Amino acid sequence: MRATVDAVLAEMARWGYRELATPTLEYLDVLVRGDGGGAGDRLFKLIDRGGELLALRPEMTTPVARLVATRLRDAPLPLRLAYAGQVFRGREIGPGGLREFPQVGCELIGARTLEADAEIVALAVESLRAAGVRPFSLSLGHVGVLRAILAGLALPEEDAARVRALLYQKDFVGIRDVLDRRGAPARTVDALLALPTLRGSAALAHARRLVEATDSQDILRDLATLGEILDAYGVGDAVTVDLSIIRDFDYYTGIVFEGHTPSLGVPLLGGGRYDRLLERFGVAYPATGFAVRVERVLAASPQEDDRWAPDVVIAFADGARDDALACARALRQRDLVVTVEASGRPWDEVARRALEGGAGRAVLVRRAAAVVREAGGSEREIPLAGLLELGRAAREPR
Amino acid sequence: MSVVTVAVPSGRLLEGGMRTLEAAGYLTAGTWRSTRRLILPCADGAVRCLIAKPVDLLAYVEHGAADLGIAGKDMLLEQGRDVYELVDLGFGFCRGVLAVPAGAVETWERKSHLRIATKYPRITERYFWRRGRPVEIIGLNGTVELAPQVGLADGIVDVVMTGRTLRENRLVEVDEVFRSTARLVVNRVSLRSRAEPVAAVVEQLRLAAGAAGGASSRREGGVELR
Repeated sequence: MRATVDAVLAEMARWGYRELATPTLEYLDVLVRGDGGGAGDRLFKLIDRGGELLALRPEMTTPVARLVATRLRDAPLPLRLAYAGQVFRGREIGPGGLREFPQVGCELIGARTLEADAEIVALAVESLRAAGVRPFSLSLGHVGVLRAILAGLALPEEDAARVRALLYQKDFVGIRDVLDRRGAPARTVDALLALPTLRGSAALAHARRLVEATDSQDILRDLATLGEILDAYGVGDAVTVDLSIIRDFDYYTGIVFEGHTPSLGVPLLGGGRYDRLLERFGVAYPATGFAVRVERVLAASPQEDDRWAPDVVIAFADGARDDALACARALRQRDLVVTVEASGRPWDEVARRALEGGAGRAVLVRRAAAVVREAGGSEREIPLAGLLELGRAAREPR
Repeated sequence: MSVVTVAVPSGRLLEGGMRTLEAAGYLTAGTWRSTRRLILPCADGAVRCLIAKPVDLLAYVEHGAADLGIAGKDMLLEQGRDVYELVDLGFGFCRGVLAVPAGAVETWERKSHLRIATKYPRITERYFWRRGRPVEIIGLNGTVELAPQVGLADGIVDVVMTGRTLRENRLVEVDEVFRSTARLVVNRVSLRSRAEPVAAVVEQLRLAAGAAGGASSRREGGVELR
C-alpha cells in the first residue's frame, strides 16, 4: 500500500505539489464548517477532557483548507498541495464496511481558470497511471449543466429541492414522476433522463439542445475547450465527458470527475472544483482538487506480492557472534536486508526455513569462515571476507 | 468482460423480471423455469443473468458484481444504495402500508409506546420520524403479520398486494407508507467504463418494459414515500 501512495505522491511532486501533513483529529466545528465530501453525520466524534468537541477527519480537503486559511495565509498563489493519510467515516449499514481508509490527493488553490481545471484532471489521470491501475478511465462533468437544465424548467422551490435530492440519490424514475406531475414538457424530461447513458461529444450536443441560458452554453463550451487542453496534456483518450456525474451539489461549484476501472464497481477517485469552501475559513480562494481511494486502487491492481523475505539470513557458531554481527552490519551498509538468528535454532533448521521462506541465501558464520547455503540447496565454505563480495542473490521471480 | 450481467431477484419479481428479459430478446421463453442454475447465459451471449435474493440484489449491483439489476422500489427505499435508478419497469406493483389489529384502529394512535414490526426498519423509522411520533421498531425477516397477534408489536409496516393476508390476520390498513414497482438499476461504474454495451441493454429493457404497459402503472405509482 505504501508503494502505491508513494508512487502517487511522487507523481504529484513532479507536478509541483508539496506534501502537507494535517492532524488526524480536528475540532468538530472546523469539519462541520467545511462539510466536505458529504461526510455529514457520519463523523466519529470525541469529547476532549476539557469538554471540547473533536472528530476524526472524514476527508482531507477541509483540514487542508483550514491550513491554507491560517498557516499558509500569506503564501503566494496558486498553491499546489498534496496529502496522504487515513480518513474515518462511520457507517449506517452493518459491519464489514470500512470505517477507516487511506486517501491520497491534492488541491490546486487560488486559480479559477480552465487551465487549472485541466491540470487537476490531467494529474488525476497520471496519478492513476502512476498507481498502476490498468485500464482506467475518467468521467468528467459539470454541476452547472444539470443545475441549468433544472433551472430552465422553472419548478417551484419545493419541487426543485425534491428533484435535487432525487438527483443526489440517482433516482431518475423519481425525477420523471415529479416532472411529469408538474407538467414539464415531455421532450425535456426524456432528454434529461437520457443523460446518464450519453457520453462524450454526443452528451455535449445533447445538452446543448437542453439548455438555453447563455451561461450554461458557456459551461458546455468550456467543457469542449477543456477536452482540447486535455488532449494537449496527452490524456484526452482517458477522459470522457459525462454530464450525469453526480457529486455533492452544495459543495462543488464547477467541474466534477470520477475515475473508474471496469473490474471495480465503485469509483477509484473523485474530485472537482469547489470555489466556496475556503471562504468559510475567511479566504475566498477558488480551488480544485481530487482524492484517490487507495484501498480501491489496490483492489483493482494486480495481486501484490506480499511475501517478504530478507536477502541474507545469518546464524553463527559458538564464539563467532562478533564476526556475525560485523558481517550483518557491513551487508546492511550495502543496502541488503539482513536478519540474524535470534532464537538459537540449529544451523540446518535456520537455513532450511530461511530459504523456504524466500530468503536470498543463508549464512553460518564460524570463526574466520562462513558456510553459505544458496536457494538451490548447494552449500560451500568461503573466507569471511568473501561474504561481502557475494552481492544480492538472484531470486526466483515469484 | 464485455458480457453484461443482469441480476434478477428470486421471489415475487422473478416472473416479471424474466418476462422482461424475454421481451427484450435476451432469454428464450420459459427456459429459465426448467433450471435451478443461478447464472443463466442469455440467447445472444452478450448478456448473462444471475438470480439473487431480493434483499441481496442491490449489493450485487452496488459493488459491480452485476452491471444492472431489477429491484423493487421497496428495497431501494429501504437500503439507500448507491446505484442509478433509470427505468420503472412497471410490473410488481405493491403498496407498503401501516396496519394494526382490527380492534385497535381507533386507539392505536393514542398509545404512549408504539411498537411496529417490519421488514423495512429504515422506511418505517423515516415514516414515523416525519410525523414526530416516537416508535420502537422490531425488525423481522418474514411473516410480519404474526407479530401483533402474539403481542410482539402493536402494528406492522409491510407490503400488500391483494390485502388478503391482512384480512386473514385481522389487520386493517390505517395508512399507506410507500408504493413500489420493479425498477431497473445500474452500477455507477458500469454505466461509464462499459458505457456502450450497458447503455444498449438499458435501452432494450426500457423498450421491453414500455411495450409491456409499464407506463400505465408508473402513472398510478406516483408517490413513493409519503
